[in-house]
Amino acid sequence: MTIHNLYIFSKSGVLLYYAEWNRLNKSGITKEEEAKLMYGMLFSIKSFVSKISPLDSKEGFLYYKTSKYTLHYLETPSGLKFVLNTDNVAQNVRNLLQQLYSQVYLEYVVKNPLCQLNEPIQSELFKLKVDELMKNSPIFLNRSL
Amino acid sequence: MKQQGLESKLSACSLEEADKCLFEYLHAEIVNYVLATTSDNKDGEEELSRLEWMGFSVGYRIIERLTKEWARFKEELDMIKFICTDFWTCLYHKQIDNLRTNHHGVYVLHDNEFRLLANIGANGSQQYLRESPRLLAFTCGLLRGSLANLGIVSTVKAEVSALPSCKFNVQVQRI
Repeated sequence: MTIHNLYIFSKSGVLLYYAEWNRLNKSGITKEEEAKLMYGMLFSIKSFVSKISPLDSKEGFLYYKTSKYTLHYLETPSGLKFVLNTDNVAQNVRNLLQQLYSQVYLEYVVKNPLCQLNEPIQSELFKLKVDELMKNSPIFLNRSL
Repeated sequence: MKQQGLESKLSACSLEEADKCLFEYLHAEIVNYVLATTSDNKDGEEELSRLEWMGFSVGYRIIERLTKEWARFKEELDMIKFICTDFWTCLYHKQIDNLRTNHHGVYVLHDNEFRLLANIGANGSQQYLRESPRLLAFTCGLLRGSLANLGIVSTVKAEVSALPSCKFNVQVQRI
């Protein structure tokens, strides 16, 4: 099991934070372009899912899976979007994303008066805590691929 | 019934949360407001005296309420000890970690994990060191105000060398 990378988007689609751990394949475009593509795709998936769903779904889009990786998606009621790519066997990723929101983002960004909301996160402490949370989770297993 | 269960669960966790956060958020906004309304002085340093004065009046009032069950303090050191333990616990949910004095009116209160700095940096991070004094001015005034109401005229300075720990220097002015 392994974690590839993480995106945090604001309500309006600004890339607030990006981190990667075991990412073997680079996209070949800049981080900003990649973030725009990613946000655009998520936006489309979200509206696709809500239109195509035969039942009234509460949670909406949760994750998608390809043959190589799984993309997990968590959106808070305030519109923050957490996106985490893992391999296909990872379990309980939703829980991890909830933890990331409540124990790291809330604590070290929202409660930091020197951090501007809706702007890319600069805090080093936040960076440190994200890294800590990911590396301590059982999903993160740094296999030599 | 379900609604009720949800409500009680919400109130249990959010009451504590609100209790802790409200002061922090309000404090942050007060700091922003004061900084936005006062211009920097010519040295390029931030003008924090209004913030300190706000802290002073809050401290002056708070001490009336906190000491209502207490007997009169015998000496200066007792008052400082009260500040370090009960007063600090009441406001910041922990005690001062270290108190030093030269027995000639200088006290150094050392907090290893000051609550208003804890979410900003850790392990001696240097990132927000320049901005952190603005988060301490209110507390300096708080100390000065509470001591003033206990009958000690003092000057209080704060010092941050490594986040999130900080020192408050209390210098008692003898007349």
